[in-house]
Amino acid sequence: MKELQDLARKLLTEGTVQVVIGYEEGPRTARPAFITDPEKAGNLIFDKRCVQNLASYLNPRRKQIVSLGKAAVVVKGCDARAVAGLLRENQILRENIVIIAVRCGGVLTDPESNAELTTETTSARCGNCDVREPKLFDYLIGELPPAPPVNPKRAEQIAALEKMTAAERWAFWSQELSRCIRCHACREACPMCFCVQCTAEKSTPLWIDPSATPRANRAWQTMRVLHQAGRCVDCLECERACPEHIPLGLLARYIADSVEKRFDYKTCDDPSVVAPMGIYRTDDDEEFIR
Amino acid sequence: MTHRFLSQADLKALIAELVAAKTRVIAPVRAKDDPEQLDYLPIQSLEEATFGARIPRRSLKEFFLPTTEILLSYHQTKEGVTIKEVPTEHPPQVLFSATPCDAAGLDVVDKVMNWDYKDELWNGRRKAATIVSFLCSSMDATCFCTAVGLGPDSSRGSDVLLVPVEGGYLATILTEKGEALLQGKGKAEVPAAVQAAADAAQSEARKKVEANLATIPADFSEWLAKNFDHPLWKTISLRCHGCGACASICPTCHCFDIVDEHNSSSDGVRRRNWDSCQTSKFTLHASGHNPRGSQNERFRQRVEHKFSIYPTKFGDILCTGCGRCARVCPGGMDLPTLIGELMTLAKAEPAESKL
Repeated sequence: MKELQDLARKLLTEGTVQVVIGYEEGPRTARPAFITDPEKAGNLIFDKRCVQNLASYLNPRRKQIVSLGKAAVVVKGCDARAVAGLLRENQILRENIVIIAVRCGGVLTDPESNAELTTETTSARCGNCDVREPKLFDYLIGELPPAPPVNPKRAEQIAALEKMTAAERWAFWSQELSRCIRCHACREACPMCFCVQCTAEKSTPLWIDPSATPRANRAWQTMRVLHQAGRCVDCLECERACPEHIPLGLLARYIADSVEKRFDYKTCDDPSVVAPMGIYRTDDDEEFIR
Repeated sequence: MTHRFLSQADLKALIAELVAAKTRVIAPVRAKDDPEQLDYLPIQSLEEATFGARIPRRSLKEFFLPTTEILLSYHQTKEGVTIKEVPTEHPPQVLFSATPCDAAGLDVVDKVMNWDYKDELWNGRRKAATIVSFLCSSMDATCFCTAVGLGPDSSRGSDVLLVPVEGGYLATILTEKGEALLQGKGKAEVPAAVQAAADAAQSEARKKVEANLATIPADFSEWLAKNFDHPLWKTISLRCHGCGACASICPTCHCFDIVDEHNSSSDGVRRRNWDSCQTSKFTLHASGHNPRGSQNERFRQRVEHKFSIYPTKFGDILCTGCGRCARVCPGGMDLPTLIGELMTLAKAEPAESKL
């Protein structure tokens, strides 16, 4: 903690950055913090309650944050994958950000509980994490904590989905997505949803009906998750933002697993690795194009 | 205002009677995806419901202003266009164990729905619904109903208020609709001890939530109006994603969008859908200009509308203190804490100094 606070203070005092985007103590749990005053660097914290993916705040369209000046951002390994995604897709320039990566021992599903990390309380996204020590950073801080217990829920859900027939999966997702109210909170909270104009809002022609009807909900969420194929970093911001508690992270994870199987690709925190959507390879498995 | 005493059996029989008469009965039910949470859902019997355990995840709004609803359908032929409007009469429904904040929210929104235009669909559903609220004792750290002039025992917007007492419920009948619902049900004589127990429960519930946030003073709306350009708006909402989840679960956010959707080249429907001032598209002009260009302005709008514009126009704060916005926010925005900070600032920098 002191290492993080001292570093933030130094970066702000020396004028390397004008804002440090990190975490601080909120009213009931940790929350995102925007530290511009070196005197306030002591507010910064990092622990298992720091669930948010702060890469969402690097979106260049977030004028109120851009206007603060050059930013340093505190990232866990999973969040570093999102920063790499933004770099890979030319949304931000490497020289315009300072990345403070923290070695991570896992986070909670419900940060307000402040519970011990167990197989039940640990976030689904921490299972088999391969970026607990990020490789994308300007500063890498903290000691590497022990690996968190693996929450088996997500793997069980994926296994259950894989066992289903296509018709059963259709029925399952139709049921889940019937609750969608088309508020698009999933998109707004997502670090990788940065389009200036989302297809869901294109009206000439209208691609997707804006109303929350079963047909339009399916079209919207299918479109979104396909646009996330090979891009989603599994941070679960979409799922946390959803006021209807739709397991959107499961949908994205299912697609990510398909991408891994087909293209031997997993989102990683190395921005120089090209994603399957951004490359043409003659040895791609194209059996689905007939 | 009269009282009746209802036993558990009386309530069970009442719900069975309503269901048998094909009245839609809504009550808090354990959520399928998370049994610790409650959702307002149609029930067939009292056993399915969970009264008073905690505040349901979503408010009652959707039963009066659905997420999406058809306003009219159209059919185009060579001769012209025929339009079919939807009925504005609605079948009766009874909402049991509404939280007092949700019941009050309907009453607050009634004002805008009957302002320059009388919203027939909202009013039709309101007319057909009876609201039985339930003394709230499930408040948590995000609740602040007393700060906005309501309370866990508020009867505003309710037709009946139920307070759990030994052996059943003390029902306070507040309207003719409530009278009609409970006519001949339970006992008209309420023992003094039951009344006293109910009074004690109400006062205890009130104390619990009062500790969360002080009552918002009457001049707060004026302070907000005069501090539209206060520098605090540049920092207060940096963590806000502008996702609008707060507006979706808010009992008083009522903005909607109207769209035409074609089913074919000659047929289609006009729908009304929930909308939110927290997304950038809400105020985007056709020219590309956006008068609320960043999330700072959009969040300011949320606070100003709820705590200044609506109170000035309609005499009511557009917030019931249910705390759902704080619970749902993925970015850790916390309205009760922010309002507390703004109130402190308003005290330190009175509005007069601004003009």
